[in-house]
Amino acid sequence: MESVEKPKVRVVGEEKVRLKKSFVKPWMGVKYLFKKPVTIKIPFEKIEPAPKYRGFHTLDWKKCVGCNFCGQICPARAIEMTWIEGEKRPHPKIDYGRCTFCQFCVDVCPTGALGFSENYYLTTGGFEEDLELYDWVPINPNKVKELNEKFRDYRFPVERIEKREDGTRIYRLRDGEKIEFKVLGYGIRPPKKPTPTKPAKTAEKKDETSAKTEGKKE
Amino acid sequence: MVNWMLSLEVIGILIYATIVGFIFMGIERKAMARIQRRVGPPIYQPIIDTLKLLGKKESVSHGIIYDFGPVFALGATILALLFLPIANFRLFSTNADLIVVAYLLEVPMLGIMLGAMSSGNPYSALGVQRGLLTMVAMQLPYGLALIALVQHWGTFKLNELVALQQAHGWSILVPALFLAMIVFDIVFQAMLGLEPFDIITAPAEISMGPMVEYGGKHAALLFTQHAVQLFAETAFFTILFLGGASNLLELFIKQLAVLFIAIFVASIYPRFTIDQAAKFFWKWPTILGIIAVLLTM
Repeated sequence: MESVEKPKVRVVGEEKVRLKKSFVKPWMGVKYLFKKPVTIKIPFEKIEPAPKYRGFHTLDWKKCVGCNFCGQICPARAIEMTWIEGEKRPHPKIDYGRCTFCQFCVDVCPTGALGFSENYYLTTGGFEEDLELYDWVPINPNKVKELNEKFRDYRFPVERIEKREDGTRIYRLRDGEKIEFKVLGYGIRPPKKPTPTKPAKTAEKKDETSAKTEGKKE
Repeated sequence: MVNWMLSLEVIGILIYATIVGFIFMGIERKAMARIQRRVGPPIYQPIIDTLKLLGKKESVSHGIIYDFGPVFALGATILALLFLPIANFRLFSTNADLIVVAYLLEVPMLGIMLGAMSSGNPYSALGVQRGLLTMVAMQLPYGLALIALVQHWGTFKLNELVALQQAHGWSILVPALFLAMIVFDIVFQAMLGLEPFDIITAPAEISMGPMVEYGGKHAALLFTQHAVQLFAETAFFTILFLGGASNLLELFIKQLAVLFIAIFVASIYPRFTIDQAAKFFWKWPTILGIIAVLLTM
């Protein structure tokens, strides 16, 4: 055991580190009374975020191929694929209640459809219809850029999201524009088309049976 | 037989003292913020705070003594204020109002503790324990400073003290009384509850000391009490050592000077533990006080 070499560590003498106590030296602190405070007065002054600050996402709907790589890498499982009427492939829907803004999804995106902007302000009230804002399919990066150049306050580009019973979503953007689309379903598999006759009946039967079993359980 | 003139003066002085006291609290916060390189709240912030506390819907009470504590504290502070010769207003006066004022300025702390103890919170019990020990410790140098003053000027009346100082120069110009002033200034920090001796409230250490349970209107009352006490104590310091004042403006400037020294000391020194504070009070200020008393004999 003694033959083991001790690792050589340089130790600075304690007498060099230890400070002398003083009654007078704290008075040096008073000099800051006459200096300008270093505060940034936030509502009146602005701070620019770093040029690649990881903020809210943007999505180029033309480029997205619906591969679900983003959904697989997301550590918070905040991404769910969404089938939109008129689009051949699903697009990611991001839940900002869970998102950690690690932006792994942006790095992993093979076509570069998913990107991010420097916007980071998002505050809402506590009502259900306000909280819809935290769950969205990101919009086109060019539109976000345009809105940023217009307002320059790095807020969430959508002001309000309206959700209808039939799956229609209406995004009211900050400059008054509207984006309207219809959500057909969620998940990687395409949603079954509501064809009449047979499949509908079987679904109804299934529903009935499940309802019965539930009733028994209760 | 109501003396209308006197009662009007009393009400006027009370309103003036409350407003100026609140402004002093604001100045205290602002100056401390500037020393920490912050902008700080506006000067009138304590008034807004108090109004907000008065506007609260609920006010938890733990019984009659709990309600009585802050009222008692505020009453004692107001009484102390009325015995002080503020500028050219001489409201009440007795043969020995120096002692009366000196002890009435200690009573509010007792009032707060009376109310705090009845809340039954262990934090307030701890705060009260610390507060009483601080009070016991600071009585000795406080008394010595006052004895030195009385021995030099030979009077217990605050009116005469002011008159004598205006005739023969301020107290701090006398070397012995300058020592007494240093002693009094150290005690002053503990009386105001400022930093090296803010062991009683001890923010972030024992959540809020005796005032843990106070909220709403009780807390508003305590804020008002603190404002009036700040005014009364700075005025008392001014009268004892800075030669009083002949008008309110002069008084205000002298009070500000006293307050700023207290703020500087409070913003640069850390808090003592309670045993260190007791040891400190019975060591350096006591020695200085004894020297001052011996020099005035």
